[in-house]
Amino acid sequence: MKGKPLQVLLVEDNAGDVRLFREMFSKEKHDAFQLTHLLRMSEAETHLAKGGVDIVLLDLGLPDGHGLDTVRRAHAAAPDVPLIVLTGLDDEALAAEAMNAGAQDYLIKGQIENRALPRALRHAVERHRMQTETDLIRTNQMQFKDEFLSHVSHELRSPLTAVRQFVTILLDGLAGELNVEQHQYLEIVLRNVKQLHSMINDLFEVSGVQAGKLKIELQCTSVSDAMGYTVNTLQGAAAAKGIVLSSDIAGKVTSVCADPARLRQILIILVDNALKFTPQNGTVTIQARIFEEDPDFLLLEVADSGCGIDPEMTERIFERLFQASDPDAADHNGLGLGLYICKDLVTRQNGKIWAKSELGQGSIFSLTFPIFSLSKLLAPAFSEKRQTECPITLISIEIGSQTGWLSNEVRAEQCRGIRDLLRGCLYSDLDVLLPKMDSAGPAEVSFIVAITDGIGGAAICKRIRKQLDSSEPLQQAGLTHSASYRSLEAIKRNSTESKEDFLERVTSDIQGLMNEVILSRHV
Amino acid sequence: MASRKILIVDDNADIRLGMHLRLKANQYETFFAADAFSGVAEARKQRPDLIILDLGLPAGDGFTVMERLRQIPFLAVIPVIVVSARDGLGNQKRAYEAGAKAFLQKPVNDAELLAVIRQALGEPAGTNKPTLQGQGSV
Repeated sequence: MKGKPLQVLLVEDNAGDVRLFREMFSKEKHDAFQLTHLLRMSEAETHLAKGGVDIVLLDLGLPDGHGLDTVRRAHAAAPDVPLIVLTGLDDEALAAEAMNAGAQDYLIKGQIENRALPRALRHAVERHRMQTETDLIRTNQMQFKDEFLSHVSHELRSPLTAVRQFVTILLDGLAGELNVEQHQYLEIVLRNVKQLHSMINDLFEVSGVQAGKLKIELQCTSVSDAMGYTVNTLQGAAAAKGIVLSSDIAGKVTSVCADPARLRQILIILVDNALKFTPQNGTVTIQARIFEEDPDFLLLEVADSGCGIDPEMTERIFERLFQASDPDAADHNGLGLGLYICKDLVTRQNGKIWAKSELGQGSIFSLTFPIFSLSKLLAPAFSEKRQTECPITLISIEIGSQTGWLSNEVRAEQCRGIRDLLRGCLYSDLDVLLPKMDSAGPAEVSFIVAITDGIGGAAICKRIRKQLDSSEPLQQAGLTHSASYRSLEAIKRNSTESKEDFLERVTSDIQGLMNEVILSRHV
Repeated sequence: MASRKILIVDDNADIRLGMHLRLKANQYETFFAADAFSGVAEARKQRPDLIILDLGLPAGDGFTVMERLRQIPFLAVIPVIVVSARDGLGNQKRAYEAGAKAFLQKPVNDAELLAVIRQALGEPAGTNKPTLQGQGSV
């Protein structure tokens, strides 16, 4: 920086102020600053976009820009150039807001003391440079940490594979009969191997969380299935500690809009935690009911009769790597990543998660998920823009596997691509591609609801088949596909019927059609 | 029926031995290779019914093995099961695109491995039936 004059851009329309600033600069060494003066914001934007400016002195009352708006515009034109705003005496509050909007500093006109201006400029430039550097270091550190976690968890898997292999070989008697004691001890080894494995997966998962890589596919997801799955999976662990694990659904709770695998994962983490912190003969329950505060959401609660959490800690437990410092909890091994992962997953499925607890009184973890509503999804198709007297067409597209070789994950991955493709086959922006329906079973069935005549339905099917036929990944993966459609008779809105009632009626008819399609596949 | 031949390509000797013990117990005959190059050479020599392939290998990697196999007609037909500590759908997808019949994540569950092997060899028991065929109503 030495020897090179600092390029200062002054944006100011008041001739008197400009003269003052020029005077101040004239007192400095002539090669220390180079001043460019512009009258208007629009000129300043053009000049900034060209680059080469080290710092901006910005008046907040220009002919073509006012207040914070000028700050934002200058910041947008050159995000990496520090800004000092110039205000009148009575505008100090505005100046403070300008700092929030990205300005480095502010100067009050008429109060700039002798030699204060160059100092302010140099400080602002230096501060800005340090800030940028710190941000860069932080970004690099985060990236390094993620790569490191990902690498470590990968490297740990290989030796773990061998350990697991040989333990199971021994347990299965492939190397000779074991006595009861030997068997029992090897079971302990296996249990710990499994735990280690799940910790490694957590590590991996969390490096994915950081990078926002975890895929979430929102769809119609049965809550009772997820609860049942969780209870079944962890019933053994609960029984081993004499803990009663149960689930309970209050009222008519149907489905939520969530990723089923992620929902299961969240419940497993929460229940697994609850079991860890609940003593012998305690209870752990999962409950579901409509959320009282917002009936568009479902509330899930995992309650335990365990050691509880200090109420002051109920927010911090969702932080990364948080662990209770309680010495009694020393054997409650884990990496402190589970709840962090939960929070990330719940938030990204448009829900919330929180905990309530008292020490020694057990804990309740609550989470909300948006309730799945077909009528909400269908609403755009029946907007005022549409003639609703045309037949309503339901197109069903089935994707299956010829071989059954594909793992669920890969099939899901393939089907994501297919959904993008289907989106491109919609007839109009009012047609609706419904999310995957949970009840569709192992084969992927997608539904499109469109308002067309019969020919339209046939045309859409034809287009879809053509697109799917030419999809290379689909063929490589050996997937089969078919597209068919059914139409509902023209449904007319009664003059006495409200828009909502009409939508409700159409929705239930479409639901009926969908059920027919799904049923026909099971026959 | 003579026992089916399985080639295990993995650079970790312990894992090779572990798989061998498990497969032998299920009446499979096993052969081994510890790097990408000998993986292809061994496949050529033994003409196995199935290949279990790791992705991280010396002298290339699992993908190069699959690429070579595909270029040789009588090897291209051998089903390949990828068993890897690498994760991520990216690797899975790449493996399937390279022609793998299945992708299993290490540490692998033996029951699952056996089920996948049976499927890939077209043997009965424990197979998932094909899910559906087209049945459009148009």
